[in-house]
Amino acid sequence: MEPRLTALGLRLEALVGADWVITDPVRLRTYDCDGLTNHRATPGVVVLPDTAEQVAAVVRECAAAGVPYVARGSGTGLSGGALPRTDGVLIVTSRMRRILEIDIPGQRAVVEPGVINLDVTRAVRPYGYYFAPDPSSQQICSVGGNVAENSGGAHCLKYGFTAHHVLACEVVTPDGELAELSADAPGYDLLGVFVGAEGTLGITTKITVRLTRVPETVQTLLAAFDSIEAGGAAVSAIIGAGVVPAAIEMMDALSIEAAEAAVRCEYPPGAGSVLIVELDGPEPEVAAQFADVERLCRDAGAFEIRIAADDEERALIWKGRKSAFAAVGRISPAYLVQDGVIPRTALPQVLARIDALSAESGVRVANVFHAGDGNLHPLVLFDDAEAGAEERAEAVSGAILDLCIEHGGSITGEHGVGVDKSRYMPRMFTETDLDTMQMVRCGFDPAGLCNPGKVFPTPRLCGEVPGVRKGPHPYEGKADLF
Amino acid sequence: MRPLDALAKVCGDVRPGEPAEGVLGVEPALVAAPKNLAEAADVMRVAAEKGLAVVPRGAETRLDWGTPPERCDLLVDTHRLDGLIEHAAGDLVAKAEAGLPMERLGEELAERGQRLALDVPLPGSTVGGTIATGAAGPLRSLYGTPRNLVIGLTIVRADGQVARSGGKVVKNVAGYDLGRLFCGSYGTLGLIVDATFRLHPVPAATAYVTCAVSGPEDAHDAVQTVLHSPVAASAVEYLSPGTVAVFLEGVPDGVAARARQTAELLGENAEVAETAPDGWGRYPDGTTLIDVNAPPPALRDLLTMLGPEAAATWSGSGHGHVGLPAGSSPDDVADVLGRLRDALARHRGGAVVRYAPEEVRGGIDVWGPIPALALMRRVKDQFDPDHRLSPGRFVGGI
Amino acid sequence: MSAQDDLPKLLSDCVHCGFCLPTCPTYVLWGEEMDSPRGRIHLMQQHAEGEPLSGAMVEHFDACLGCMACVTSCPSGVQYDRLIEMTRATVEREHPRSLKERAIREMVFQLFPYKRRLRALRGPLRAYQKSGLERLVRRSGVLERISPSVAAMERLAPPLGRAPRLPERVAARGEHRATVGMLTGCVQSEFFPGVNAATARVLALEGCDVLIPRDQGCCGALSMHSGREDEARAFARRTVETFESVDVIVVNSAGCGSAMKEYRALLADDPAWASRAEALSAKTRDLAEYLVELGPRAERRPLPVTVAYHDACHLAHAQGIRSQPRALLAAIPELTVREIAEPDICCGSAGTYNLFQPEAAGELGDRKAVNVDATEAELLVAANPGCSMQIATALRRRGAGIAVAHTAQVLDASLRGLGRDALVAPDS
Repeated sequence: MEPRLTALGLRLEALVGADWVITDPVRLRTYDCDGLTNHRATPGVVVLPDTAEQVAAVVRECAAAGVPYVARGSGTGLSGGALPRTDGVLIVTSRMRRILEIDIPGQRAVVEPGVINLDVTRAVRPYGYYFAPDPSSQQICSVGGNVAENSGGAHCLKYGFTAHHVLACEVVTPDGELAELSADAPGYDLLGVFVGAEGTLGITTKITVRLTRVPETVQTLLAAFDSIEAGGAAVSAIIGAGVVPAAIEMMDALSIEAAEAAVRCEYPPGAGSVLIVELDGPEPEVAAQFADVERLCRDAGAFEIRIAADDEERALIWKGRKSAFAAVGRISPAYLVQDGVIPRTALPQVLARIDALSAESGVRVANVFHAGDGNLHPLVLFDDAEAGAEERAEAVSGAILDLCIEHGGSITGEHGVGVDKSRYMPRMFTETDLDTMQMVRCGFDPAGLCNPGKVFPTPRLCGEVPGVRKGPHPYEGKADLF
Repeated sequence: MRPLDALAKVCGDVRPGEPAEGVLGVEPALVAAPKNLAEAADVMRVAAEKGLAVVPRGAETRLDWGTPPERCDLLVDTHRLDGLIEHAAGDLVAKAEAGLPMERLGEELAERGQRLALDVPLPGSTVGGTIATGAAGPLRSLYGTPRNLVIGLTIVRADGQVARSGGKVVKNVAGYDLGRLFCGSYGTLGLIVDATFRLHPVPAATAYVTCAVSGPEDAHDAVQTVLHSPVAASAVEYLSPGTVAVFLEGVPDGVAARARQTAELLGENAEVAETAPDGWGRYPDGTTLIDVNAPPPALRDLLTMLGPEAAATWSGSGHGHVGLPAGSSPDDVADVLGRLRDALARHRGGAVVRYAPEEVRGGIDVWGPIPALALMRRVKDQFDPDHRLSPGRFVGGI
Repeated sequence: MSAQDDLPKLLSDCVHCGFCLPTCPTYVLWGEEMDSPRGRIHLMQQHAEGEPLSGAMVEHFDACLGCMACVTSCPSGVQYDRLIEMTRATVEREHPRSLKERAIREMVFQLFPYKRRLRALRGPLRAYQKSGLERLVRRSGVLERISPSVAAMERLAPPLGRAPRLPERVAARGEHRATVGMLTGCVQSEFFPGVNAATARVLALEGCDVLIPRDQGCCGALSMHSGREDEARAFARRTVETFESVDVIVVNSAGCGSAMKEYRALLADDPAWASRAEALSAKTRDLAEYLVELGPRAERRPLPVTVAYHDACHLAHAQGIRSQPRALLAAIPELTVREIAEPDICCGSAGTYNLFQPEAAGELGDRKAVNVDATEAELLVAANPGCSMQIATALRRRGAGIAVAHTAQVLDASLRGLGRDALVAPDS
């Protein structure tokens, strides 16, 4: 290890205790990636603080030593947002997992960043509430990670993303100070830009989340269609009818085949696509709209419709969808998970183009997506034992992103840019756009030590570093009259 | 070249300012009204070259909010930027220019059964002004404020460069969300030129359930009953002097059933109506308007502190407004403000003065405590290093 | 193909998604990657790629309870059970342990799998418990100083009552429905003889002839789960032989049952035994699993008791048996079943774990005790002797008493109409 890091490691031990600073190379290597395994870097030091004050002290030590640092929650991100720095410190929040406050009258809870997403729901469920963001990793991903990534999930179609469910965050700024960012306090909505900044603006240490009332009823149906186009037409018809489902998910034949192999979900045989539509809300609303949805699916050509009679049947319907990513491992030695977004109405064209791409290149692509908001998750299959196969898969995967951009979409709907997609950012944004975003970064982290190398392909030079200015601040004495 | 001439070369509508156009009493030297993005960018570039302090202006409905600018060399008026650029109904998305009045946007969207789920508390206000002030009404309980509905934003920076963030898809986490940063930024970070919104369908049916409440305790109980019930209200409001009103949206049968259910929850005083009760979605009367952040458990303390006579509205989302009558002295206002802040601090809330007569404004702390002010200043310094954009209009002298 | 050849494939099944983390007891305790299944697989991978087996690595493999909760939670079908067993065997072969560690391990492995040795221990322990010396010794912490592991063993010994000796055959009551063999288990038969008696009675009352071979030995579970493969194979072969003549083997101890279901993998490379082991695994049934398959016949009499049902890891995760014991309990009139929070998290008993890793086991026991306590149940029901001992001890540490019973004992009490007093003290 470089001497600089060795010395820093010792200071960190003094701050948090030797048990919670990892410097052994074998142990360090277990932190070399998050949920995305094709980017790896062994961190220089790993530290597991227990309190916000400890996080602040660790950040101050890093700042003083000029050492970069990366925050990590449960390590489940899919864009390498928590990829460590070999020359830096990895700050892991998994010990900070206390639910500090549950305020049911105020419909909110205060949690530490390491609290697992689903644990928030488990804690408030007895009161008839839940925490709405439900990324598929919700059983393990941390709320701090949700804040960094602005996580969504199958149900964000109706309920919105993490940004809509976080009311305030206590954060450690790159100066090592604790600051309170709130959506309601006067001043800039720094919280709004902090959520989803992928850990590049600071480390959150306390999160006030909004709790959502558990809906009175939930209705789920599975509709099977001959083709992906017919399924897509059903989606358009449902949205066009003014229905806002809690979720609309779609799978194509190949992903159905994989799910079948993995969990025997028993979706209707011969389906070219299946659609899962879930409605929730007050009983009379759901009953009326559910009938519409069923009719619209039939009109669009559904040859079989199954309606979940209870939670168990609902779980069965969702089982195939939820296992789809992991299940693809059963029909292919390796695969890439892509995450792109297109306007919903462009679904038929884009899916046809993906088909064509697949046919031209001989690379199989399974499609699983949040059809309601046009968020595609093409799974690009390849055999890692075959020379050049991964490169071909990468090429197809990249071409799919280009398709998304071409149709006015986005290169990521929920997995984030991280280290994986920063190179695609210039395809979606101009140099000025990216430069403007980085102005925020420069305001927060002029030294560029906080999760550097993520989101943006090239760092912006921040110019004058605030804080070294001599004399009174230009604002001093102007408005702070009281 | 004089600034007027330089501006006239790039923009078809440039003229000297008039005294009546003062921003909280600060008269603009010049007024420019660009008609498109290119003109807006050129105007801002010329302003940068000439070192002009710029204040954006929409329909002037909230130009008297906040604190006066230190100077105002150029008002950039957005009334010619009033197009609905795109309404992709199939995608529930619309892109509108900053100067488009909210009501006109609403009418156009309604033609295809859709809407931007934001109330318009002040008639005539524009898309840009709504975003710049983060304005919303009762619907915020369910749909949020502009920060929750803006999915893409085009701005012109202080140096005249055009920058975009977000896009035209609802689900998108590529890059920083500058849209949220610009919501409620009072024109101090850049000029908003157009915005893309996520839309919602116009509900097939709506209903209001109102109920008279007697005092803070009663109001608290009524609100809590509705909030924790499964009726899924789109808005729950308290309207002074003593009404709790619930707004329901949905399909006809559903709304009718839920309205009955809500009325039962609220007790025998409750009434179901098709139209909104008086004062719904409007700011309370008065010449001083105070915006309060008061989470639901704070409602009781808020109303107790204000007393039965005060003009106030409050939303179940935990936000409200208090109006103070004309003739309130600066000391009166300062006293109310101080007591409000004390009462709400216990609930991690606060109070901000939106507008007040000049003599009052000078004698009070408009913003109250501002956490993370140092960070805000640093962000401002990056976007506007010369402090030319609405200087002094915002918190902490920003 | 030998087991070691499978290693690269087994390792590559892991896609690093992290779904196993929240169910891993050591991750729950410490929140550290290398003490999670995902982290341990990473360490195994490092070793497979040539990194020598270091003390640090072994520490994290040793810290694994082998509860297999991660196997249940894995969406990619990673066979962590096989991975950790292979790794433990490698550790035993390649990693020198300290003298003190070796001494304790030897003591445990020379004692627990042998009924006669355990029986020899019973006399002294019983005398010791009765004498009142027990409390004195506990308070002095003398044992803790000698070794936390010995102290753990001492704490776990349950209050001992009379141990009835089971006959070799218990005849079915009423019409004969089946003939089953019964494994009595080492710890079960010596420390919880009442459970075996109850099991035999319940099976008989449900119409089964119960064969209980007297010469049965240890099933090898402890050895198998600790990487002592050769020892485990020897135990397995003997058990296969003992039960070859019966069609079904009913096992009331979760750890034993899961081990016997794993014989097929354990002896897969042994041509002489592979098919016999396979056959034994195929006919092994947990008691609850078997009773549900058989279907109820005997009359259930009311038991007005509130019970908390604890999922033994080797039942829920290793054998996938969750609904059956609950269904059996719920079918008893007037009995209420309460769920324990965090049901997936191990209680810390985990075979020999509470002997080798007493601190972590103690923390997990405390955590489980809090959750059990919160159910306000009068009776804790579990299907593994280790769990019962571990949780009862942890509850006692909290000053919270709770009666403990095996599923078999609750059924026995219901079938025989013994009433609630047979299970919970009359004043509770």
